Amino acid sequence: MVVAMYAKQNEGVHERVESKVLVSAKGLTKTYRRGTEEVRALDGVSFDLQQGEFTAIVGQSGAGKTTLLHLLGCMDTPTSGEIIIGGHSTKGLSDRALTQLRREQVGFVFQHFGLLPTLTVMENLLLPTLFSKREAKARANELLEQVGLTQRRNHHPNQLSGGEMQRVAIARALINRPQILLADEPTGNLDSVNGEAILQLFHQLHREGLTIVVVTHNPILADATQRQLVLRDGQLVP
Amino acid sequence: MTWAKIALQNMLRRKLRTFATMMGVAVAVAALFSLLAFQRGYQNGMRDELDRLGAHVLVVPKGCPYDSASMALHGASWPCYLKSAYLEQVRTTRGVSVAAPIFMNALYESNGTQQVYLGINETIQAVKPGWKLEGSLPTKTGEILLGATAAKNLHLQIGQEFNLPAIPGERGKVCGVLASTQGAEDAFLYMPLSDAQRLFKRPAQLTHILVRLQDPNALENVVEALRGCEAGMDMNIVPLTHLFQTIQGLVNSTRLLLGCIALIALIVAGAGVSNTVLMAVTERTREIGVMRSVGASTSDIFRLIWLETVQICLVGGVLGVLTALIGAQHLEEWLRNRLPFSPSGALIHPEAGIMLLCLLGAAVLGSMAGLLPAWRASRLSPVEAIRAAL
Ligand SMILES: Nc1ncnc2c1ncn2[C@@H]1O[C@H](COP(=O)(O)OP(=O)(O)OP(=O)(O)O)[C@@H](O)[C@H]1O
Ligand SMILES: [Mg+2]
Repeated sequence: MVVAMYAKQNEGVHERVESKVLVSAKGLTKTYRRGTEEVRALDGVSFDLQQGEFTAIVGQSGAGKTTLLHLLGCMDTPTSGEIIIGGHSTKGLSDRALTQLRREQVGFVFQHFGLLPTLTVMENLLLPTLFSKREAKARANELLEQVGLTQRRNHHPNQLSGGEMQRVAIARALINRPQILLADEPTGNLDSVNGEAILQLFHQLHREGLTIVVVTHNPILADATQRQLVLRDGQLVP
Repeated sequence: MTWAKIALQNMLRRKLRTFATMMGVAVAVAALFSLLAFQRGYQNGMRDELDRLGAHVLVVPKGCPYDSASMALHGASWPCYLKSAYLEQVRTTRGVSVAAPIFMNALYESNGTQQVYLGINETIQAVKPGWKLEGSLPTKTGEILLGATAAKNLHLQIGQEFNLPAIPGERGKVCGVLASTQGAEDAFLYMPLSDAQRLFKRPAQLTHILVRLQDPNALENVVEALRGCEAGMDMNIVPLTHLFQTIQGLVNSTRLLLGCIALIALIVAGAGVSNTVLMAVTERTREIGVMRSVGASTSDIFRLIWLETVQICLVGGVLGVLTALIGAQHLEEWLRNRLPFSPSGALIHPEAGIMLLCLLGAAVLGSMAGLLPAWRASRLSPVEAIRAAL
């Protein structure tokens, strides 16, 4: 994969020299049943994500942001439409194949951090490798260093602040070297100082070439991205 | 970090709940273990008892209590007697190889200790192939052969003279000491048959006759012949192997019942474990969602929950076996006081094999109990799980 991504950082404007589509959403629709009523959470959403792009998904509560993020991360399948990742359609893939995609291509970050309380920071970090059966001790140390939590490696989540927990969660999402990082309101449970630290971390990861999609209500975070997708009632606002 | 460690830590999250569930398994496994250990112990005990008695057939006076075999083995004073003359008839019955006459009496000392005296003659050696004798059999009047325990308790050695316990004014001389046979007979005192008949004022009478056959397989025929002989009317012929089989059968049927109860206890315990883990799965739905999001497959989740269930059952099993081992002593006493016939060896015979079997049983129980919660957990849709409220 020969992709060169040189983002100019001077004026805060990111300009692509050469680009390649990493994820392509085509007419995504997702309906849920709620009793007899049908809820159309997403309705014909189409867009492309370039490799190395830093995108925000914004919109009011219930607009379908989380639903869209879950579809992008292969946690769920659309009712209609399809998602193409790295040129391959995920349509009709088995649960097993979707799991493998999640494992290898996607990193997830949640508002509630999603750390396992019984595991230490290091063990949480290595959790994905338990399922991918990879050896990633060195990578884990590197990531801990990067998120500034080397001293906390043997602590349990309940000994950490919210910001620290979220940094562990981000490091964990990156352990298998995914193509894309998906974050659902990563600063939603954090104060502004910790939120700012997470933002800086995203910037740094973006500079290193990672593709990032972040669902957020936080205007500072949204404004810091290259591109904003606005959802309203399950549809993209042009 | 390993699967087992994650499962173990999850198990420890609700310590009290996990412990209560484990105790259910422990009780069931303890019951199973005790039952199996008892079966083994009882069987061994009965076999040893038969070997010790040495006889295939026991001839006792008509009208004797049904537990005459136990009396002959463990020592008692007999309420009725056989004529010595019958011995000849028994001895000459077809198929009989040896017929050893016995006169047994149990006396009590002033302090309540029971002393069992047996009048015997030299034929006893033929029915007691297991006897290791130091000195000689009592043949002359006044000679006493001591069981191992009797010699120890009375502090006597060969050649010493002593007052016969519980028989005031009578003296005897130790002619021999028997090596221990681990049975009640270790405490017996043996004297010449004629001495016993004279001392207990029953001339020409016996309490029982121990009979050994030329061919143990011909038991049925010989018993038939003995019952048919002239003295047959006044004798009770007790085929010992049959008797022991009957007792064993009695115990076996009780065991079957107890086995069913243990099985039910196991099933109930398994259901308890299932329920506990199901609850844990519900509580941890979001964590399961998180694991799915970082790449856990359905089978990974299944494995994790299943492992946790097996661990709970295995630890419960270990606790159960330990409980049973610790409680074996008490159970032994309790059983001994209630069984119709208990051999003198250990009733509860815990073996490594039984222990392994019980742990294996616990593991199998865990594997089965884990299927439902593991299946439930693995079937959770990742999105539903991740959206679940805590
Ligand atoms: N499992 C479900 N069953 C029924 N309806 C659902 C389900 N999941 C989501 N929805 C509905 O789909 C719509 C979109 O939900 P979604 O969670 O994607 O919104 P969101 O933009 O992430 O909102 P928020 O900002 O509050 O997180 C909502 O109306 C929601 O109620
Ligand atoms: Mg949402």
